[in-house]
Amino acid sequence: MAGQTRMLFRHVDEPGLASIDTYRRLGGYRALEKALRDIDPDELLSSLEDSGLRGRGGAGFSMGKKASFLPRGDMEKFLCCNADESEPGAFKDRELMSKNPHQLIEGIVIAAVAAGIGQAFVFIRGEYWEVADILDRAVEEAYAAGYVGENILDTGHRVELVVHRGAGAYICGEETALLDALEGKRGNPRLKPPFPAIQGLYGGPTLINNVETLSNVPHIVKNGSDWFKGFGTEQSPGTKVVSVSGCVQRPGNYEIELGIPSREIIYGLAGGPPEGHEVKAWFPGGSSAPVLTADELDLPYSFESMADAGSMLGSGSIIVADENVSIPHLALRTARFYHHESCGKCTPCREGTNWTVKMLERVISGEATPMDLDVISSVQDNIIGNCLCVLGDSMAMPVGSMVAKFRHEFEAAIEAGRDAAPRPLDESPTDVKPVPVGAAG
Amino acid sequence: MSDGWVPEIKPTDDLSAADRRRLVESMRPEDAEPVPELSEVDIPDELRERIESAMQKYPEIRSASLPALWAVQRHYGWCTPEGIRQAAAVMGVTPGYLESVATFYDLFHTSPVGRHRVLVCHNLACWLRGAEDVLDAFCEAAGVDPDEADHIGTSSEDGAVYLRGFECLGACDIAPMASIDEHYYGPLTPEEARTAVEQLRSDARPIPDKALAGRETAGGPEPEPDPRVKEGEA
Amino acid sequence: MTNGEEITLVVDGVEVRAQAGMMLVDAAKHGDVEIPVFCYEPKLGQPVGACRMCLVEIEGIPKLQTACSTPVRDGMVVYTQTDRVQEAQNAVVEFLLVNHPLDCPVCDKGGECPLQDISMGWGPGKSRVIDPKRHFQKPIPLSPLIKIDRERCILCYRCVRFSQEVAEDEQLQLLERGASTFVGTFDDRPYIAPFHGNIIELCPVGALTSDAYRFRARPWDIEDAGTVCTLCPSQCNIKLTVRDERIQRVLARDNFEVDDGWLCDKGRFGYQMIESPDRITEPMIRQGGTLVPVSWEQALEAAAAGLRDAGERTAAVVGGPSSNEEGYLTQRIVRGPLGSPHVVSTYDDAVDRELLLELSRPQLAASVADIDRAESVLVLGTDPMHSMPIIDLRIRKVVRRNGTRLAVATDRPTSIDGVAEETARYSPGAMSAFVEALAAETGAEVYDRAEGELGADAERIAGILRPGSTVIVWAGEPSLAVADLAAQLDAKLLEIPAGANGRGLREVGCTPVAGPGLSETSTGLSPTDLCEALTEGDVEVAFLVNADPVRDAPNGPGWNEALQKAKFVLAISMFEDGSTKHADVVFPAESYTEKEGTVTHPDGRLQRVRPGVPHPGNARPMWEVLAELAGLLGDETGIDSAGEALAAIAQDVPFYARITEGEIGGLGVRWQEREAARNFPLAPGARPERSSVVVPTSHVGTTGGVPGASPAPASDQLQIGTYRDLWAAEVTDRSPALRFLRPTQTLELSPADAERLGLNGTPEVDVRQNGTSLRARVAIRERIRPGTAFLVDGLGDGAGALARHAVEVSAAEGGE
Repeated sequence: MAGQTRMLFRHVDEPGLASIDTYRRLGGYRALEKALRDIDPDELLSSLEDSGLRGRGGAGFSMGKKASFLPRGDMEKFLCCNADESEPGAFKDRELMSKNPHQLIEGIVIAAVAAGIGQAFVFIRGEYWEVADILDRAVEEAYAAGYVGENILDTGHRVELVVHRGAGAYICGEETALLDALEGKRGNPRLKPPFPAIQGLYGGPTLINNVETLSNVPHIVKNGSDWFKGFGTEQSPGTKVVSVSGCVQRPGNYEIELGIPSREIIYGLAGGPPEGHEVKAWFPGGSSAPVLTADELDLPYSFESMADAGSMLGSGSIIVADENVSIPHLALRTARFYHHESCGKCTPCREGTNWTVKMLERVISGEATPMDLDVISSVQDNIIGNCLCVLGDSMAMPVGSMVAKFRHEFEAAIEAGRDAAPRPLDESPTDVKPVPVGAAG
Repeated sequence: MSDGWVPEIKPTDDLSAADRRRLVESMRPEDAEPVPELSEVDIPDELRERIESAMQKYPEIRSASLPALWAVQRHYGWCTPEGIRQAAAVMGVTPGYLESVATFYDLFHTSPVGRHRVLVCHNLACWLRGAEDVLDAFCEAAGVDPDEADHIGTSSEDGAVYLRGFECLGACDIAPMASIDEHYYGPLTPEEARTAVEQLRSDARPIPDKALAGRETAGGPEPEPDPRVKEGEA
Repeated sequence: MTNGEEITLVVDGVEVRAQAGMMLVDAAKHGDVEIPVFCYEPKLGQPVGACRMCLVEIEGIPKLQTACSTPVRDGMVVYTQTDRVQEAQNAVVEFLLVNHPLDCPVCDKGGECPLQDISMGWGPGKSRVIDPKRHFQKPIPLSPLIKIDRERCILCYRCVRFSQEVAEDEQLQLLERGASTFVGTFDDRPYIAPFHGNIIELCPVGALTSDAYRFRARPWDIEDAGTVCTLCPSQCNIKLTVRDERIQRVLARDNFEVDDGWLCDKGRFGYQMIESPDRITEPMIRQGGTLVPVSWEQALEAAAAGLRDAGERTAAVVGGPSSNEEGYLTQRIVRGPLGSPHVVSTYDDAVDRELLLELSRPQLAASVADIDRAESVLVLGTDPMHSMPIIDLRIRKVVRRNGTRLAVATDRPTSIDGVAEETARYSPGAMSAFVEALAAETGAEVYDRAEGELGADAERIAGILRPGSTVIVWAGEPSLAVADLAAQLDAKLLEIPAGANGRGLREVGCTPVAGPGLSETSTGLSPTDLCEALTEGDVEVAFLVNADPVRDAPNGPGWNEALQKAKFVLAISMFEDGSTKHADVVFPAESYTEKEGTVTHPDGRLQRVRPGVPHPGNARPMWEVLAELAGLLGDETGIDSAGEALAAIAQDVPFYARITEGEIGGLGVRWQEREAARNFPLAPGARPERSSVVVPTSHVGTTGGVPGASPAPASDQLQIGTYRDLWAAEVTDRSPALRFLRPTQTLELSPADAERLGLNGTPEVDVRQNGTSLRARVAIRERIRPGTAFLVDGLGDGAGALARHAVEVSAAEGGE
């Protein structure tokens, strides 16, 4: 389909791609052979750095540079593949892993060798049970074929790989929370510094990369960094898998080169809203990104242009809302998510998400005044920048943007709520019902 | 040691001053839960083997706490206090530690749940495509309160189905969707939700044609590869 | 720039000197700038940056930073009062109060609450929250000693971090997630662990309150008084909360060199014993079989008469909690006017003076803080959790934070086994043999390397110990091998004595083998022999100073008989007990909250015990009473104050020379670190003749085996060891809050023996040896050495007498 450039998704629907035989038949594991036999690890690392590959998890930091931060030396180092894809709107890693697990495994082993790492983990979210099963089978095949484990391809390199299943906590996608979860604790983010590259898993130097990032590695190694830079933009070479969902006709993953107009993705690839409907608001980078409006559909889809528009590209997940969608409800859904997923460690996030939900519920039930909207905005401002990790900001930014851009809708919602359920003035506010101990949500 | 801990009143009950006194008087040092002595805990062999093999996979034993809790949940249907104690004894940690971990994660159940676990995504992408109606249909068919299901999860009276409104499950391409016994299904209509509940009641495989597994990637058939990609395959 | 280097930074425009690596929040204090914190507490380890209260602006860093987790650098420019910082502080306070009930008028913390203070000082001053707050059942008992109010909790993590990272009991946990998070325990069970009271002090709000202190006082009603807890050798520094001349509460008085700022629950709640209505408050004389209150004159006269008659046939037993002054005056009375050499302060049989000197040498002495600096620690012959609890926390800390290597060699499993790199178990009574084998492994050539299991165990333990950087924490059988081991490793020794002031009492002369200052003296009877001599009538008078041998001696029944047979018993005691039952004259004893004097910590630190509350009834300062008694017996001491008593000690103990209360001060001073340490009687390097070392024969069990060769018990027999449980103490019985912790006699044995003896599933057993029998519950413990089993000493059931004996065990008759 026009607009797509399939590199990671090449042969994606080829029957049996998840098996090692098919993968190898289509050229798989040649990059690994080349990397281990023909290139020394330092060169490998610099070619990854040269390629300009940016992390695909959301932050967009240079993958090679991150790997180069790991100290040299014989200490045990770790690689963690972040497969805890939980950002609302993101589902690219699921498809990459379930359709082409060996591409990821190959990328992990190459990256591990480049950074002198002997132990790798895939931290996969617990909900992806089926995918984890696929991955487990693939890892087993790769071990049997000698691509993983002791003395890989008789080159003396050792990379152990364990698939670790999470158990349902969005916060584990935050890299230091992921480390805590992998260490068997509650998935709370850690203070940084120290950064994981210096002191990560079990206190050792740790490289953490997203599934899509690592899936790029075999392609770079096989074809060279110059070839890779022939795709995408100068600031962000390569392709990007974009997950499009919400009010569009063909939700799904589309692999594109960054820089194409956003409209082309939403309308061209995903078919746009159903006939007769139009885009009202869209999240360009998952639910953590401040919403953009229909006026901003022609912006090029790139890290830079989304940032200039006051939002972000993040993991590259577009959620589209059409004109029928109530923005206050959308804001409440968004806030509820972050409230539910807040780990509770730091104050502004724990209490801020919780308070925001209560206030938005009052907006919808009509038990608010327009002045409460100012409180909501101010609470979002009080969260931003004051938290231990970015989860709090991830609610405050989109919710703040919705109140700012669609304030009239919130005011209307208050009126509508009041009309729908009028309450006598002398009645006490919401019944205070004891929360049973242990109640979640 | 602590098998005998069945307090007449739980600390979280509605306590009168007299209850409080009685509760304090009933607390004995041996009711505390330090690391259980392995010799004092009976563990099903299969569970013990699973936990021990998980412990061997990691440089540090505690990393096995998630796999251990999964094993407990597989074995008992939920993370029972007794199961948690057993896992704690094998791992040499306190049951409190494992309970703390278990209650952090949404997929671990620390109270009994229905046989089949249905997680209905109610996050943005699914909500935009009618998740509320799907969840309502599931609840209606299962005979449970939608509000309760949506917020904290609840099970049908016959114990067949556990229903919970869940945050984004990472399958917005098949919105509105649900995870049923760890398999993904979507896009769902309210009608299909009702059918699924009926099938689950008789322990049949639910709505097979809505399973995600085997579904092709969005965007139609494989396009002609970009010449640059093709060059890379040479 | 290395950590510790002096650097300069600017905080709010003021130049501040600090050490590099220090956290900004602490460095700012040098410039009189207070940065508010909730979760930060350096005692808990690394900062977590969770509460976000300490956000500050640092030049060059775009985002606000948490001052609690930012190490200072030279030239750092920090602002703590800018609009941006104030907005963040206001925001965090507002967030913290979103769910806090603000029930300050009925909250115990009111008036001493960091949340109140910080809300006033750094909060917005008004609330915008009109939404319902979260609700919990409140207050509910978290343990019999602590109530938890989850609505007040601000989730600062301090209490759970204490449980995870300091006490490491890991019972107290965070449950659930996010705004639903709450502090709790597995399955709602009680949190019962020996240090759990510390969480009350750590809590920055009124969420965790002491059950005993609830609604007793407001901060403006109370006075603080500092003293030292003498309930065990830890000698933790404490602060009494006093209202209307009664102790309401005990808090830690941080002393890094002693207790690291923690207290065990015994020290925290044991003050109830002092407030007990059962205290003896009048001097008493036995008349017609009962003790009747009399005047001090009468009592002193009667005491003097009783002692005078017996003269050299008098023996003094000075109990562990006695102060140096009490011990010194007692031995002075006994050795001086009475002319008797019989003074003991422990029930373990004494070693000879040479060995005592060798083991007490200042060069070999470890300070408590040396544990923090050592690369390895050996715990030998004792479980610190029971013998000196605060050391348990210290060792856990260094293993966790410094990576210190820990080895444990004991007969009974210890509570720190879990953090040890290597553990070794020997049979009860075989400690000396183990130490010799260990010394041999470290290269001491006078000992033969052991074969078999013993040799292998010793080798494993030796492999952990770092020459030149090891502290050996030990108790049990003293032997020259302990000193040789230390010398070989260039290690330092920290001996845990049996009594709280065991070291001080020994050093002021309460030992039959040495006079004050460990000086040479005519040797008195060992405790075992003394007990026998009293029974036989060779010694006629027992002078008990804060001592209850009937309860505390391993051979309690023997002492009961001995005291019964004694012609005259003078007892100084807080309570009527198994020993005062035989007393002819009783003086009311002072507690450590009433007493003025000094004690010597096991590491040689002299500390001041200071009165915080008045004496009950007619009780008087004991130094004064003893000085009067000495006078009545013809020794005019001229001592008219506690200070003069200390001066007399300083006179007679050369290595305490010239020490004064002023020099000891609030935090104490180690005598080894003073100039006068040079006066220690043994010249450095001088070694006693090996042949002079006495192997304490009474330590060898009736099996007659050589220590170390673990005797193979008959198929239905077990070799018994005993241990003094932390809670097998008078304070447990006499403090209502602690009573639930009184241990039940329990026979701990290995799974193999339980199997062998058919005791699996048997709840209770009878343990028999040579006609004596006692009943015990059964506990099967993985880490117990097969063939050995353990009982609790100090419960008054005579278990101590079974130590090192082989016993027969059978299911309890007529039991459940």
